[in-house]
Amino acid sequence: MLQPKRTKYRKMHKGRIHGEAKGGFLINFGSYALKATEPERVTARQIEAARRAITRHMKRQGRVWIRIFPDVPVSAKPVEVRMGSGKGSTDYWACKVKPGRIMFEIDGVNEETAREALRLGAMKLPVQTRIVAKEDW
Amino acid sequence: MARRIVDLNAEVRTGTGKGAARQARREGYVPGIIYGDGQEPQPIKVKYNYLLTKLKQGRFLQTLFNLKVEGQPDVHVVCRGVQRDVVKDLPTHVDFMRIHDDSRIELFIHVEFVNHDASPGLKRGGTLVVVRPEVELEVTASDIPDHITVDLTGKKIGDVIHINDVQLPPGVKPTIARNFVIANVAAPSGLVAEENAEAEA
Repeated sequence: MLQPKRTKYRKMHKGRIHGEAKGGFLINFGSYALKATEPERVTARQIEAARRAITRHMKRQGRVWIRIFPDVPVSAKPVEVRMGSGKGSTDYWACKVKPGRIMFEIDGVNEETAREALRLGAMKLPVQTRIVAKEDW
Repeated sequence: MARRIVDLNAEVRTGTGKGAARQARREGYVPGIIYGDGQEPQPIKVKYNYLLTKLKQGRFLQTLFNLKVEGQPDVHVVCRGVQRDVVKDLPTHVDFMRIHDDSRIELFIHVEFVNHDASPGLKRGGTLVVVRPEVELEVTASDIPDHITVDLTGKKIGDVIHINDVQLPPGVKPTIARNFVIANVAAPSGLVAEENAEAEA
């Protein structure tokens, strides 16, 4: 699963996700992509599950690009522990996704396979998505 | 190879700023601007569905247009940018630059790849990774090439295609002075994963 090799600080505030994506909203590498249409935290597990679903449907042909990276540590307290005594330890890593963000790109397969692979991948994610194709504007 | 000059209809937009632009959008137009050639910028608006049809035809940013604005003389323009909604990918604003037929302009020209079947790398399941789907070229306004062609014959997995490997149309030169990469033939994700697994084991 994806996670940073080293970080400047061990824990982070929860924060809120406001606004739309400022970058990463255009297809840069592949021909088809999965675009988020709502804000949400996407965990490393969800990214990995989506990646597996996509590559398996593509029968290991073509290529997949992951355009998001889980760089937000999410902490949790152990079970049956009373409140207080400081913030819990890092439980998992997540990525804050804003509407418009391209999350996965694929190339090297036909349109039908690409759309089905991305649909299966989208089912593993906690956000509503849209499948977009590279435009020749 | 050069394309003919296409007509494009627009209307004069009264008022500038986000209020007027939003008003135009509410009325079913896309706000825009014509600038350049030492003249004052002219705010315009283009019918939304009409512009979307033109955009979907492709190569909008690489076409020389004869812009017809009501009550004004026709001008030759190229589109310098289409702003779009981040989530819906629909146009929200369009920029046009006035040019003369003999002026030299820098444009992104589409790269077309041919002979996929004659590439052993692609036959083996490799993926054509297009680093630059469009290449910035200096061209004459009246003679804008439709595309540049890259022949994939004999390309194997790991091969890289540079700009010097491509035959450019006459009178055209790249704006970047080095021999930059256009595309490469990469191994499929499955093959890379297998190689990584072997390396780890």
